[in-house]
Amino acid sequence: MLQNLHAGEGATPLPPSPGTLLAVQDLAVSYDRYEKEPVKALNGVDIEVREGDILGLVGESGAGKSLLARTIMNSIPGGGRVSGGRIDFMGERIDAMSEEQRTRLLGNALSMVVSNPRGELNPVLTVGEQIGNMLRYHKGLSAAAAQDEALSLLKAVQIPAPERRLSAYPHELSGGMAQRVVIAIALACTPRLVISDDATSALDVTVQMQVLDLMTDMVRQKGASAILITRDIAITAHFCNQVAILYAGEVVELADTDLFFDRPTHPYSIMLFAAFSHDQALRRHWTRQADPAVPASACPFAPRCPRRQHRCVTERPALRRLGPGRKVRCHDPVEA
Amino acid sequence: MQMLSYVGRRLLFVIPQLLGIVFISFFLIKLIPGDPAVLMLGPNATQAAVDRLRDDLGLTKPLVEQFAIYIGKVLQGDLGTSWQTTRPVLEDLAERFPATLELVTLGLGLALAIGIPLGVAASMQRRGPVRKVADYYGLLAGAIPDFWLALVLIFVFYSLLGIAPAPLGRLDITLIAPDAVTGSLLVDSLLAGDIEAFRSAASQLVLPVLTLGLVNAGPILKMTQSTMDRTLASDFMRYAEMSGLPRRVIRRQAIRASLPSVITLVSVLFSVTIGGAVLVEIVFGWGGAGQYAVQGVLNADINPVLGFVIFSALLSLAIYLVVDLLYFALDPRIRG
Amino acid sequence: MSVEAAGVPSPGGRPLPGQEWRGAASLRFFVAVLRNRPAFALGYGIVAAVVVLTILAPLISPYDPIRADPEAYLLPPSLAHPFGTDNTGMDILTRVIYAPRIDLVIAIAGTLVSALIGAPLGAAVGYYEGRGPIGRSLSVAVMRIADVLQAFPVFVFAICLVAVFGQSISSIVAAIAFVNVPIYLRLMRSQVLSIRNMRYVEAAYIAGASDAAILARHVIPNALAPALAQLSINIGWSVLLTAGLSFVGAGVVAPTPEWGSMIASGFQSVMTGQWWPSVFPGIALGLTVFGFGLIGASVEALADPVQRRALVARSRGG
Repeated sequence: MLQNLHAGEGATPLPPSPGTLLAVQDLAVSYDRYEKEPVKALNGVDIEVREGDILGLVGESGAGKSLLARTIMNSIPGGGRVSGGRIDFMGERIDAMSEEQRTRLLGNALSMVVSNPRGELNPVLTVGEQIGNMLRYHKGLSAAAAQDEALSLLKAVQIPAPERRLSAYPHELSGGMAQRVVIAIALACTPRLVISDDATSALDVTVQMQVLDLMTDMVRQKGASAILITRDIAITAHFCNQVAILYAGEVVELADTDLFFDRPTHPYSIMLFAAFSHDQALRRHWTRQADPAVPASACPFAPRCPRRQHRCVTERPALRRLGPGRKVRCHDPVEA
Repeated sequence: MQMLSYVGRRLLFVIPQLLGIVFISFFLIKLIPGDPAVLMLGPNATQAAVDRLRDDLGLTKPLVEQFAIYIGKVLQGDLGTSWQTTRPVLEDLAERFPATLELVTLGLGLALAIGIPLGVAASMQRRGPVRKVADYYGLLAGAIPDFWLALVLIFVFYSLLGIAPAPLGRLDITLIAPDAVTGSLLVDSLLAGDIEAFRSAASQLVLPVLTLGLVNAGPILKMTQSTMDRTLASDFMRYAEMSGLPRRVIRRQAIRASLPSVITLVSVLFSVTIGGAVLVEIVFGWGGAGQYAVQGVLNADINPVLGFVIFSALLSLAIYLVVDLLYFALDPRIRG
Repeated sequence: MSVEAAGVPSPGGRPLPGQEWRGAASLRFFVAVLRNRPAFALGYGIVAAVVVLTILAPLISPYDPIRADPEAYLLPPSLAHPFGTDNTGMDILTRVIYAPRIDLVIAIAGTLVSALIGAPLGAAVGYYEGRGPIGRSLSVAVMRIADVLQAFPVFVFAICLVAVFGQSISSIVAAIAFVNVPIYLRLMRSQVLSIRNMRYVEAAYIAGASDAAILARHVIPNALAPALAQLSINIGWSVLLTAGLSFVGAGVVAPTPEWGSMIASGFQSVMTGQWWPSVFPGIALGLTVFGFGLIGASVEALADPVQRRALVARSRGG
């Protein structure tokens, strides 16, 4: 049985309440090392996506955003393993996905838009064949019907000259076009949840907004939900109704978007905003280097935190509700 | 057309390579101690006779001139004469080369039939009995000397069990060979309607083909398995898994992506085995081209060796050309 | 804490620059891996056993390896002669134990020579390829020559070399070395080419490190593992080549015990049902080459980060 070993968290995670599309509870992913403690790349992540939500997942490089996405998609890179917690999707447990679950759910109800499309598309198959494969194996379409449907999908993602693109190979596409193709693939079947793994960061800024607009529109049209993973917090303001902030493998703040942007409460969230402030004193106060005198702490943000207290070093804060529509993992969040 | 110009360019490269090979062989073999004139006339010949023969053979001219003369003759289709068989080398090789070709083609065919399925199965099954068997077989097959395996097979199936025919060449000695059309006894006997010769040729082929097949299956298996492993771990294969495609589709795509490496290996193996089958040829008294060349070296008979080198180099180059064309067909990135 | 900082090879799959091997920990890791992958242990065991037997040969073999006893010819395996005797009455067990003295020495010497010539040459070719006109034309020339050399039927080429240099141990070593140089040439060249393009080498270059320093600190350590794996496999293969040469009579001269020539001299006897003069040397030969192959496979597995991760997980019992 998966045990919950973290201080302050309480009992073993239970099955989520009905009506929740995706529930990640206390998920831990570690990488084994020889003769040393395993590295915990994800250290107890909690997120929840309900029907109709678009959740923005924000974090810096190395925080574990992509790892979380791939763990949900049963594809942990580099030999890591799930070492704690659970993932539930549409009432089924998927952290130890069976082969049957994989072929039924992935690419169908649960799909992902990847961030390196030209590296992840099959180089020897045409665009039409790759979209067609999804339609043939998930929806049982014939080859001809699949090609027709693939064409209309390409039109839906607004790719220029869609008929020609059908027979193009991935290396013949530009970055933006390849991105639209993987969006088409993710939305081809009957998605309930689409995870976008930093799908637009490699694109030009103007194209970024176009593609995100397109993606969120299509998601809503299909009546699905989405998780938008990004390093850019501004994106969540435009597109998401929920925000989750990820730091060092943990969720540190989880809130409705308007609440969050009105008043962030976790010191790290405040730092994300303060970094853009014109007020130099404000910037200096919140954006600090890690203090070398502080040891590795129970709260991973402690070495950089201006509000650090002694208990932050020894006791890991729990993810607590802080008023309606908000949860924070902090001993001393900023209120009022 | 693009392909024609590509082929044309490659052929242009072939000529200097061929020239280089013949050049090096020529001078290397000339270094072998032993005076051909003496060897041909025997120990009782007079010095005058030997000198006259040496003059006739052109052995007194400077080496470079001898080489030029040789090339000139080759371009006219004259590969010289073997003093051992007293026949033109071209005739000797026309008999022997097809024998080797038939043996190597069938042997490698068997090796492919064993090696590829085992390699694919071992790769798709991350751990378990198939993988272990494949690992051991791959290494063992590469370790066993082919001439030893031939002897063991002869001992078991001929001496002990009496099912195999005596290892005395390609055809039962009481039978007459059918007219040579292709040089392959199997094909020629069928063409001539000679069923008895066909059966005899086939039964003589069983043990040597089995030897070559079992031994060469090893490297093919290892290459297939390692390429499949690497392909399955690649980004685009993981993407296919994340798209929920069924196992058999993934296997098919992985095999398709691994084909180029396996094809390369097979082409190299083929070229190598043409010369490397010599030991098996000797054990079975096959009368093949490799055996011919080896006897040439051991007896300082230059022309057979050079003739063999030219034939096998031409064959190798032809094979590599075919392989390149296959790559062209398999990988759209090269075309683009 | 990011995964990289923990000192584990990055999930992307490539080893980190300058990753130092801490001796003692590596040794313990190695032993744990062996314990969990008995196949690898088997390989090291076989080779170690062969080496030990070879060194102790005079002390442990029951008979003199080259003394013929015509009375005792072609005796089947028995307590007095566990492997039987050959057609000149020499004890096969003794000769099988003595044979690696020749076989291994030739194979190791030939392989080492070819590596010592081929690897630096290949590294230089890879490094200077595409850097300036001289470098480029030299590289192309060397690779074309290697192509031509490799287009030769290996066996015939080896026999030619032995014929040219005369039949002796050093000429067999030379033949093996010659034949294998292109392999190390290509290996090092491709390693250097792929490593050269990695960011941290560029960084070192920009920082002003000399060519030699870059080669020594970055390129060579990373190219080492595949070269070592290749060495081991090559040694096994060279033993086979030596045996093959001896089989046709172009290798070691009788009565020196050597596995290949032993198999050859037992050739005729096999037809008449006396299998032991050929079979036992062949088993010893195959087993030895197998052992080297396993060692090569273990080096490959340890060097490949993906497989290494799997080994780590298993050795932790996880």
